[in-house]
Amino acid sequence: MSGIRFENVSKRFGGVTAVDDLSLEIGSGEFVSILGPSGCGKTTLLRMLAGLERPTGGTISIGDRVVNELAPAQRNIAMVFQTYALYPHMTVAGNIEYPLRKRRVAKDERVRRVREAAAVLELEALLDRKPRELSGGQQQRVALGRALVRDPAVFLLDEPLSNLDAKLRTHMRAELIRLHRRIGRTMVYVTHDQLEAMTMSQRIAVLRDGRLQQFAPPRDIYARPGNDFVAGFIGTPSMNFLDGRLKGTGSGRTFRSGDLSLPLGMLPLTDEMPEPDRRVRLGIRPEHIHFDRQGEPARVNLVEPTGHETILVFDYRGNELVARMDGDIAIEAGDTVKLAFRAEKMRLFAAADGRRLNDDSTA
Amino acid sequence: MSTPARIARRFLFNVLAWAVVLVIAFPLLWMLLTSVKPSSELFVIPPRLLPGEITFEHYRRLLTETPFLTYLRNSAWLAAGTTLVVISIATLGAHSLVRFSYPGRERLARLVLFTYLLPSVVLIIPLYLLMAGLGLANTLTSLIIAYTTFALPYALWLLRSFMKAIPDDLESAALVDGANRMQAFVDVILPQALPGIISTAMFTAILAWNEYFYALVLVNNDAARPLTTGVINMLVTSFNIEWSLLMAASVMMSLPLIVVFAFLQRYLTRGFSAGAIKG
Ligand SMILES: Nc1ncnc2c1ncn2[C@@H]1O[C@H](COP(=O)(O)OP(=O)(O)O)[C@@H](O)[C@H]1O
Ligand SMILES: [Mg+2]
Repeated sequence: MSGIRFENVSKRFGGVTAVDDLSLEIGSGEFVSILGPSGCGKTTLLRMLAGLERPTGGTISIGDRVVNELAPAQRNIAMVFQTYALYPHMTVAGNIEYPLRKRRVAKDERVRRVREAAAVLELEALLDRKPRELSGGQQQRVALGRALVRDPAVFLLDEPLSNLDAKLRTHMRAELIRLHRRIGRTMVYVTHDQLEAMTMSQRIAVLRDGRLQQFAPPRDIYARPGNDFVAGFIGTPSMNFLDGRLKGTGSGRTFRSGDLSLPLGMLPLTDEMPEPDRRVRLGIRPEHIHFDRQGEPARVNLVEPTGHETILVFDYRGNELVARMDGDIAIEAGDTVKLAFRAEKMRLFAAADGRRLNDDSTA
Repeated sequence: MSTPARIARRFLFNVLAWAVVLVIAFPLLWMLLTSVKPSSELFVIPPRLLPGEITFEHYRRLLTETPFLTYLRNSAWLAAGTTLVVISIATLGAHSLVRFSYPGRERLARLVLFTYLLPSVVLIIPLYLLMAGLGLANTLTSLIIAYTTFALPYALWLLRSFMKAIPDDLESAALVDGANRMQAFVDVILPQALPGIISTAMFTAILAWNEYFYALVLVNNDAARPLTTGVINMLVTSFNIEWSLLMAASVMMSLPLIVVFAFLQRYLTRGFSAGAIKG
């Protein structure tokens, strides 16, 4: 039993609120990503969970224990730091062995387990080296080994792949997923890379300015973003937004922006409009834009072929609109085309607080 | 690659470097040579650099007929004692200034520097009265305490900058790995700070070894005099300066420093760049 519960947890550093009234429940054995832009409080959240930082308010539990008052050593967690934080004066073997030594594991047991962890991470040949004699990828594996070796209840990983090159990152992503499957421990994985979060996690907690935006499986985060921040943060190129007003009711409902008018009759709303003429943001993903003779005219500003697809940037009635289309499309900058959106994929957000307004029944 | 212009530049640089070395080393050389000349050769005109005859008579006299060895032992105790006290306090203090957060931490660190604004002359009378009041007047202990007052702020400041270069994550990692605060300090911080600690210890030892003013005022019996005041006191009087003995004494005073430097020099240059690794 090693689920994790944050209840109304806050952390302030002087005037800066790093984590703001955050509640989150992570299941035992679950792989959860904490995702958000740099400076949104991810590391602070992890450090509080590890006991390296004391929450200003709220309670944190691991299993059925409230751990607020427990020292890091008493929490049965392991952590991989973004900087790896290998002990420079110890060998690879010494680094991996250190947590066992601190827990007074007997000598031959220590040797056995270091060898075991080294085998899993293919570090056998490096055991006598000092960290500075290792490549970034090797250091990263040693940091993982140090976390693995004592079989903790919870693994905390703070952007462990961010210092690796792209190819190694892809490889390590797969390795980490395999590792999680094999040992089945709770893993909390901090990243600012949506691709990592989307590919690895069972659920993603999106954070912004210390506040939890949404906590859901990757598919839902993408298809049913809780607000316009999550919608814009997830997906590349990001979702397009048009600002305007909601007119009419029921099936006659339309979105108005300047002289643009889009029928929204088929989008069920989550609540009936509290005020008439409500200000909204219409969100549409790049892959949900297509050519349509009945559509609105748009001018092509930029064509970016990537091979398997083409990214097009349009001027759509004064708004910049990014679309993702086929790789072999024949179109040039300066052309004028007619565009339409896949109506059931459009997302409507309240302009005031960014909350999603349309229901997901048609998604 | 090595064009004539390059070679010329190198040559010029070397000449300049050696010239500087010569200017600095000449007095030391003169001191060494004078200490092995017979007294009769000291004041010949014109002066001669090399001794006509080499004698170790002055060294023999210094070691057997004067309290030189007592002074030497006192100086050694002073340097060792001061260094031990200062390094123990400064290492823990610097760690606290860098790692713990408490109100007024930065101000405290700057206040440490502020002590430099007070000239030692201002402190010496109160210090003397304090030592007398404690019954420590004329003891090595009183000098160790006095030296600590000026060496500690300096050591704290120096070690603080060394410790700042050690990444926070190292200590955090140790804590997560199961260490308590003291173990994390001993297992991870200390080894990282060691080059800094060694060089700070060297500076402190040199300060204590060379100190003159406090020793002059706080101690006036031979049993507790260090080399600096002791040698001057016994060899330089209003009537006479024992140049040969003075030079021999100076050579022997410099020797320990030169030996220490020779072995630990790299710690003076290294260390400041000692940080942890990052991928
Ligand atoms: N020890 C600290 N003292 C003061 N401010 C801090 C400290 N640690 C983090 N912060 C602030 O808290 C916010 C969140 O930081 P962090 O958790 O490191 O973000 P992330 O890991 O998401 O990039 C930032 O504004 C950062 O400046
Ligand atoms: Mg971070």
